[in-house]
Amino acid sequence: MATPSLRSRLARFANPGKPVLKPNKPLILANRVGNRRREKGEATCITEMSMMMACWKQNEFRDEACRKEIQDFFECSSRAQKAGKMRSIQETLEQSESLPPHKMTKLLQRFPNKSHLS
Amino acid sequence: MAAPALQAARRWSGLGLGVRLAVCHLPGITQVRGSRYAPEFRDPLTDKEYYRKPVAELTEDEKYDQELKKTQLIKAAAATETSSVFADPAISKFTNMMMKGGNKTLARSLMAQTLEAVKRKQFEKYRVATAEEQATIERNPYRVFHQALKNCEPVIGLVPILKGGHFYQVPVPLSDRRRRFLAMKWMITECRENKPRRTLMPEKLSNELLEAFHNRGPVIKRKHNMHKMAEANRALAHYRWW
Repeated sequence: MATPSLRSRLARFANPGKPVLKPNKPLILANRVGNRRREKGEATCITEMSMMMACWKQNEFRDEACRKEIQDFFECSSRAQKAGKMRSIQETLEQSESLPPHKMTKLLQRFPNKSHLS
Repeated sequence: MAAPALQAARRWSGLGLGVRLAVCHLPGITQVRGSRYAPEFRDPLTDKEYYRKPVAELTEDEKYDQELKKTQLIKAAAATETSSVFADPAISKFTNMMMKGGNKTLARSLMAQTLEAVKRKQFEKYRVATAEEQATIERNPYRVFHQALKNCEPVIGLVPILKGGHFYQVPVPLSDRRRRFLAMKWMITECRENKPRRTLMPEKLSNELLEAFHNRGPVIKRKHNMHKMAEANRALAHYRWW
């Protein structure tokens, strides 16, 4: 199997044959890495949100009348946020062979590929 | 996790201690962003109460921490961090958001003039009010500021989510930080854009803050519009995945 190369693959004047590759973006390494495909969860705090909105509908969107529902909604959202954080910490603890994509992107942003000569 | 070349570069080099060695002897790799402090530097602590505690009251952890600090390297505190009693993080944040082009002196003076204007207006009202009304008028400009911003915070936000080639505005719970930011942003945008020309910022801001304090005015209206749109789109809430 020949090693992959770009020689005579692109449409250039120096290239006598037909082009093999027709890239729509420049063939330059970007300073970012694509995200992993992870399972999507489902929406949290739907019940609290619908209770709060029902209360708003009855009281013409005044916040003073719906204090309790708003407080419940805030508590639910903070709990959901903490749960999400614990889950992501668990995932980072499990994965050890390579950096997760967002950390890799951050590293590449700090040490980017040189697009200039000097 | 870092490449072995990076780990080797972190050890002593001719640059001396404290500077994060940019991996400059590796060709093609230059550090572009990132702190110049080496990882062993600790963050400064500007809390007076922490340092005023008598030695007898400290716990074991705190005693150890204080002993450790004598030998540890500490980063320089930012020029904006103070241990003054007048320092208020909300006011500092608001001043920074009002600042244009790095002109902090102007932003700070505008903030001071705004607070003074709020105080003057409240005192005017106080002088002409009856005794029962005088009890309800709030004259402390800092309390007016905090209450006004708290009244402007939205409870729920909208986020554009791409589904089936279209963007839908989905209602989503917001974090505390985001809500505070939105309140301040709306206040500043309202004062900058929807006001008659040649009115000065302290005057505009003081009016808006007082109106928001009493739960009226355009910023509160914008918050209610956001809530109404969220309520109208409540069926789309299942498009969220967090």
